[in-house]
Amino acid sequence: MIRLATLVLWLAMLPAHAAKRVVSLNLCTDQLLVLLAPENIAALSDLSRDPALSFVAVQARRFPRVRASAEAVLALHPDLVLATRYGAQTTVALLERHGVRVVRLDLPEDFPGIARLTRDAADAIDVPERAEPLLAEMRAMLASVPSPSHATSAIAWEPRGYTAGPASLMGSVMRAAGLTNAATGQRLGLEALLRHPPDVLIVPDTPAFPSLATDMLDSPSLRATPRRRLPPALTLCAGPFTGQAVTLLSR
Amino acid sequence: MTVPLGLFLVLLAGVSLLIGDGTLALPDTAILLEIRLPRTLLALLIGGGLGLSGAVLQGALRNRLADPGLLGITGTAGLGTAIVFYWGLAAGFAPALPLGGLFGAGVGAALLLGFAGRAPSGPSLILAGVAVSALSSALLALALSLAPNPFALAEITFWLLGGLQDRTLSHVALAAPPILLGVVLLLRLSSGLDALSLGEDTATSLGQPPGRTLLFAAIGTALVAGAAAAVAGGIGFVGLAVPHLLRPWIGERPGPLLPASLLGGAALLLVADMVTRLAPLVLPQAPPLGVLTALIGAPFLIVVARRGD
Repeated sequence: MIRLATLVLWLAMLPAHAAKRVVSLNLCTDQLLVLLAPENIAALSDLSRDPALSFVAVQARRFPRVRASAEAVLALHPDLVLATRYGAQTTVALLERHGVRVVRLDLPEDFPGIARLTRDAADAIDVPERAEPLLAEMRAMLASVPSPSHATSAIAWEPRGYTAGPASLMGSVMRAAGLTNAATGQRLGLEALLRHPPDVLIVPDTPAFPSLATDMLDSPSLRATPRRRLPPALTLCAGPFTGQAVTLLSR
Repeated sequence: MTVPLGLFLVLLAGVSLLIGDGTLALPDTAILLEIRLPRTLLALLIGGGLGLSGAVLQGALRNRLADPGLLGITGTAGLGTAIVFYWGLAAGFAPALPLGGLFGAGVGAALLLGFAGRAPSGPSLILAGVAVSALSSALLALALSLAPNPFALAEITFWLLGGLQDRTLSHVALAAPPILLGVVLLLRLSSGLDALSLGEDTATSLGQPPGRTLLFAAIGTALVAGAAAAVAGGIGFVGLAVPHLLRPWIGERPGPLLPASLLGGAALLLVADMVTRLAPLVLPQAPPLGVLTALIGAPFLIVVARRGD
């Protein structure tokens, strides 16, 4: 009964022109789809439910999953498939040949790009009015960053010792949080980091599962350097939620 | 030979402390104590232990191809450690890591003993070892592909080829006790191995029953290989190559070969690790340690083999 009521409510909310059945094949488009038009979801990718990777992991659990295989996607009879320019390209090409409408979204590395991405996604799903509220929230988060009293150097140290360069999404987040990125995107070992430690080390949240790649980030030799932990889901994919990473860093 | 080898090792260890990750300079004390010292100590302990266990196994099994790697003990040790590590058992209780390695090595050594009881020195022993080795690397790949994190599969190179990068003093504390215990056990086999080289009956009449020698060789090797795999992955080649490299100088008797192989193994692994540390100066990425032990050891081994048995 409740389920039927929800369904009726959804149908009432549904704009007549919206793409009714949308399949997303990529973690990044999954998250935009859940935020913009949950009522139109036909299926999401597997990773959408992973709390370590997906900002909408909890909501995503309500929706069906689909593997990035043309056969599985065609069986869902989607009106629209959301993908990125990378990954699953053979699947996507096959879908297009079967007459499925596919929109490939660009994954941006900065906040103006996130605004464009969110509007593009909203336009593609035919819910253009849904982008602005999300973006207003993001802009408010960016605007509330206090201006720094002094220059603070930071390095975002990622699994396997990779760092975030200035042109990356994490680099944009650091800039927006008023931090000076001391890394250029090269790989840094423990020793190199100890030789020139930054004021702040940005590391991902402790992962649920151990790996050598993330173990090195918790080396006791670095205890003297202050660290900020960020949930990787906030910066793995660019989205309006990436603003939260800026808030967390500027605190 | 043992004395100059020992002096050479002390010199090497000193130089090792000067070599950083892609740099050549005396660092501040924090880097010296927390990064270069553990790395140097582990290279000495693990290299020494593996060299020694190679010499002991070659003597005890009277087979020149015997080596913890080739007989599958390194493989089962790596498998045990990797399972403990990726399933998060070591997160709350650090000693679980060497315990997993020791358990795996114990299984490998037990398989070896079971087989050696039937065919103590024949090629079938090596064949069985190669089979255990292949099985354990297959199971390792399976375990890692099932492990619930995105990096596990990429980390297979560490478990198969070893590495000492970014190890800390806590790793030394975990690995040193079993390795030292294993080294002591193995060094005490010196007279037992000499007796065994005269034949099984002679050894028994000299009060050195071959069964006991083989048992202690297996236990000592499991302690060394298990703890080594727990902190440094699957370093191969040291145990096989070092005794062969030293025989031209030391002679054929297994007894005197033991302390020399201990020092020689330590030197080989330390040099290999120093080269991986310097590699970033010329290469975009440091090659795994096991690649270098083979790159450095193999040419010498070819020369020894050409000179002929």
